[in-house]
Amino acid sequence: MKNFSIAKRQVDQISVLDISGELDAHTASQLENSLKALIESKNIKIIVNCAKLDYIASAGLGVFMAYIEDVRGLGGDIKLSNMNDRVYNVFDLLGFPTLYDIVDDERDAVNAF
Amino acid sequence: MSNSPLSNDERRSRFELRTLLETSRLLIESQDPDFVLNNLLLITMGKLLVPKGMILIHKPGDASYLVSKSKGRNWLAEGSELSAEFDQKLLDTSVIHGEKYAAVFDAIGIERESALFNLKTSNHHLGFLCLGPKGNKTAITGHEIEFIESLSIISSVAIANSRMFKELRHINRRLDRKVHDLNTLLELSKDFNMMVDRDEIARVFKFAMLGQMLIRTFFFALDIDGKRSIISISGIKEPPSDEDLDELFALDDIARTDDIKNCAFLAENNIELLIGLRFQNEKIGVVGVGPRATMEGYGDAEINFLQSLGNLALLTIQKTLLLEEQIVKKRLEEELNLAKTIQEGLLPSPIPKIPGMEIAAVNVSSRQVGGDYFDVLKLNDNGHLLAIADVTGKGIPASLLMANLQSMLHALAPLDVTLEEATGRINDIIYENTPPDKFITFFWGKITEDGKTFKYTNAGHNPPMVFKKGSDEPILLEDGGVILGAVPTFVPYSSAEYSIESGDLIVFFTDGVTEAMNPDQTEEYEEHRLVECVNAHRNLDADGIMKAIIRDINQFANNIQYDDITMIILKVN
Repeated sequence: MKNFSIAKRQVDQISVLDISGELDAHTASQLENSLKALIESKNIKIIVNCAKLDYIASAGLGVFMAYIEDVRGLGGDIKLSNMNDRVYNVFDLLGFPTLYDIVDDERDAVNAF
Repeated sequence: MSNSPLSNDERRSRFELRTLLETSRLLIESQDPDFVLNNLLLITMGKLLVPKGMILIHKPGDASYLVSKSKGRNWLAEGSELSAEFDQKLLDTSVIHGEKYAAVFDAIGIERESALFNLKTSNHHLGFLCLGPKGNKTAITGHEIEFIESLSIISSVAIANSRMFKELRHINRRLDRKVHDLNTLLELSKDFNMMVDRDEIARVFKFAMLGQMLIRTFFFALDIDGKRSIISISGIKEPPSDEDLDELFALDDIARTDDIKNCAFLAENNIELLIGLRFQNEKIGVVGVGPRATMEGYGDAEINFLQSLGNLALLTIQKTLLLEEQIVKKRLEEELNLAKTIQEGLLPSPIPKIPGMEIAAVNVSSRQVGGDYFDVLKLNDNGHLLAIADVTGKGIPASLLMANLQSMLHALAPLDVTLEEATGRINDIIYENTPPDKFITFFWGKITEDGKTFKYTNAGHNPPMVFKKGSDEPILLEDGGVILGAVPTFVPYSSAEYSIESGDLIVFFTDGVTEAMNPDQTEEYEEHRLVECVNAHRNLDADGIMKAIIRDINQFANNIQYDDITMIILKVN
């Protein structure tokens, strides 16, 4: 199995997913399941902390696209934080910054809710 | 530096030189054209003490200028546009100043005492630096013009550089994006290679599409063996009906929904573009995508990417289908081989010896398993039972009935029942247990222990042939009744007895022998050829005669076998 893992934390009303390793075609469904579970339990203020994310493929980005409207429709948001430059570059190339709050530090994301 | 006081001229020229030097250093380091222009305007306004100035930037192909910078009152506002076009001669002039250019100043709408400095590179007109009349109303000097001209040249180069830099950055970015697209394709082709689960392939395809195109609405419809269905979907309110699907498959391979009217499904779900995917020139997939979040729309590059990724997913799915087909086929083959072994076990091996007689037998199925059957059994009373049968049809269905018949025969053989009675019972069981179009032609008979008498019943089977010593015409063993499984046993089967004599040769066979076809499929082997062949080889032993017949049939049919072939040759010594 590929090296990828998700840990969930709660910061007040906000759910933080710490994702680490490589988010690609094989591991995308793990992130999908985590996001689905959060949305089903009405945890719609979500921060995905990418500090330990080494790599992201298009399939990984697609998971964010698939759920952003559901979350925003319920009055919440998915914010992304702590990306390394290489990962950010991929998000940036595909135009994600126009759609998502991508911030340097998790605290900025918490404050932005 | 000397201690002697400097003249005013010297001081000014030093100041100008230092300004030029600092400006050029600043400009070379700056990649920001806005900064460059602002700097140029402020320095020149300060130098000439003019209260009004602006910078016009040429918009190529537009016959107009953008007011990029503007300072002072009553001149054109920053950001506004000026419609004006000048002839090439003017555009080649570096300094435009004086009364003969009154028309130019009027066209721009500024005082005739103003001065224009051309901003240009060796082959490109970038715009103008416009300076209003001096505040102290004095005329602009040649020295001043020289200084500003130098500054304008430096600034122009800086602007051209920064433009080039910007363009390069843009190209680089597009290149990065292309590389990323290709990487995505490459990576997915590797990922797909490892996947055999169609749902997983469809899901990964969906996410890759959403992430790569920044879309939310997506569907992927597939046609598997004529059955159309959605295998992956995102952000669609209501999946398409069967009629919708048929309509989607009928569209062009690249269809923009602006051109399609009257499709409620496309309109309701805000689908923007549809891509048809082909496999061996047949459209078996349709991908639909909604608007991109970046509002960029779908250009050639995007359509190309969608097609490539779609084809990749389609091929992977095709591969899984073929793989499954192969697995099923392989399993079936293994099972058939097993069945063949089992069926071979149902035939006598070795064939029991009958004192004073030679027996040879053969059974060749046209497929792995078949519906022909023969048997030779030694009975409790030391007599022998011979049987031969042919089930209608070939392959597995026929082999099942053949196995059924074999077990009935073996169950009945040791019992004290007559051939006729046993045949009647077998017929009833077959009749009850098989569909109406399944029959068995069946012949069996008992040779008494002394080897003198052969009592038989023939249920519709090709009559075995008895060749008597000295006669070329065989006697046919025909007595019995109708074929097994056609009707219940209303009329009991009959039997007949024939006295075995030394030198007799009996040939039992199924219709695979007499109905073997010539290569043209126009003629059958038929009984008369069999009789001729037997007569020609009467002097051989049983095995030799059998092999001669098989050789003859193979020659006649050019080694192509359509039906199961079975024979027993019994030669009385």
